[in-house]
Amino acid sequence: MIAAAALLGYAGLLLAAGAPALARARWPDRAPRLAVAAWLALAGSAAASVTLGGLALVVPTVRVSADLADLLTACVMALRAQYAHPGGAALAGAGAVLALAVTARVSWCTARTLTAGALARRRHRRGLGLAGHPDPRLGAVVIDHHEPAAYCLPGGRRQVVLTTGAIAALDHAQLAAVLAHERAHQRGRHHLLVSLAGALAAAFPRIPAFRQAHEQVARLAELLADDAATAACPRLAVAGALLALGAAAPVPAAGLGAGGSATGARVRRLIAAPRPLSRAASAAGMLTVAALVAFPLLTAAGPALAARGENYCPHAAAAAPAAAARSAGTAGWCGLSAGC
Amino acid sequence: MRGFGELEAAIMDRIWSADGPLLVREVHATLRPERAYNTVLTVVEILYRKGWLTREKEGRAYRYRATATREDYAAGLMGEALDASTDRAATLRRFAERIGPDEAGQLHEALEQARRAGERR
Repeated sequence: MIAAAALLGYAGLLLAAGAPALARARWPDRAPRLAVAAWLALAGSAAASVTLGGLALVVPTVRVSADLADLLTACVMALRAQYAHPGGAALAGAGAVLALAVTARVSWCTARTLTAGALARRRHRRGLGLAGHPDPRLGAVVIDHHEPAAYCLPGGRRQVVLTTGAIAALDHAQLAAVLAHERAHQRGRHHLLVSLAGALAAAFPRIPAFRQAHEQVARLAELLADDAATAACPRLAVAGALLALGAAAPVPAAGLGAGGSATGARVRRLIAAPRPLSRAASAAGMLTVAALVAFPLLTAAGPALAARGENYCPHAAAAAPAAAARSAGTAGWCGLSAGC
Repeated sequence: MRGFGELEAAIMDRIWSADGPLLVREVHATLRPERAYNTVLTVVEILYRKGWLTREKEGRAYRYRATATREDYAAGLMGEALDASTDRAATLRRFAERIGPDEAGQLHEALEQARRAGERR
């Protein structure tokens, strides 16, 4: 009961306070990799906590014992006690529904997002096969289109796609920067990270934290690829390529947001070249991320872990009498149980 | 399957580059490496049924024409891949999203300054 309350409370805390705080933080621009891990850990951990919290309501915690018969008896007693009064049964029912619903919804949405992506990519790849022509010198598929655009098609047969408009708008160094950026997406399998965050957002459309996690993972994946591109190309060439293609990109149907654009922010970040997070701060961040994930798992598995620390086996000295007691018959079970 | 896709692409390429509608025999004659006539005929009919080609009767044969120009087809394909209103499950984001003209002007200036600072150093 306490574990269930702790888990559900933790999920609520992550979604209501953790996500807004992470969205407001300024360090993610300096450590996009850590920030992607933090967002995925936050979203995944919240979903897992709700599931485990539901399970914790169903299964009352029982002190784990090395003695199987003892454990079973304890289980039966605890289960009987919980289901004896109607409130307990109702709570357990609600917990079961919660755990099942969350698991089913997340699995369904993840499967749907991944298969929809794979299908759309296959169709798009066929289309590219018809209208595009591979350019082995660039290692990309070029398509005749006046609008400048560059993107990559992830998955099995990876492809970088460039329009003729993009090639015309870029100089040599900028073109290399674009290719390095898109290949970093493919190498890092960023589409999987974005898809996972997207699946959670699709599973719980009413919860803003999941939508925020999806947007932020998508944004940070771009920063990650920008950083990878600067490792291979001059920083200002990456910035120049972004500016050249961004300024020539068509106005989106939704219109431009007020203030600066996301791509503009990436250009400013490349020009300013913020120092990456210090080693100590990154390590602390990684520990925090690990703790985010570990908390629900440890809380749910708490009783079992606590039992590991206990000395439920008879000491070596006591082993002989204990064995004797066991052979003496059923009375021995009671003696052993009392000893634990 | 891969070979089939390549043949589809080669046939569409011939039809798109031609001045007018083509007979299957004419498509077949220009394909390199040479393919069996019946294979070409089958694939052309598949493309017709999929809606990529239209045809008009000429004597006992059909003349085939693409339903959209290569440019229109490419534009449709790009729109599908990059349209901001769909969730773009197929591709990652395009390399750069739109930067408005005012912002682009400021960024050009900032970039120019950074370049000059870099040269001086």
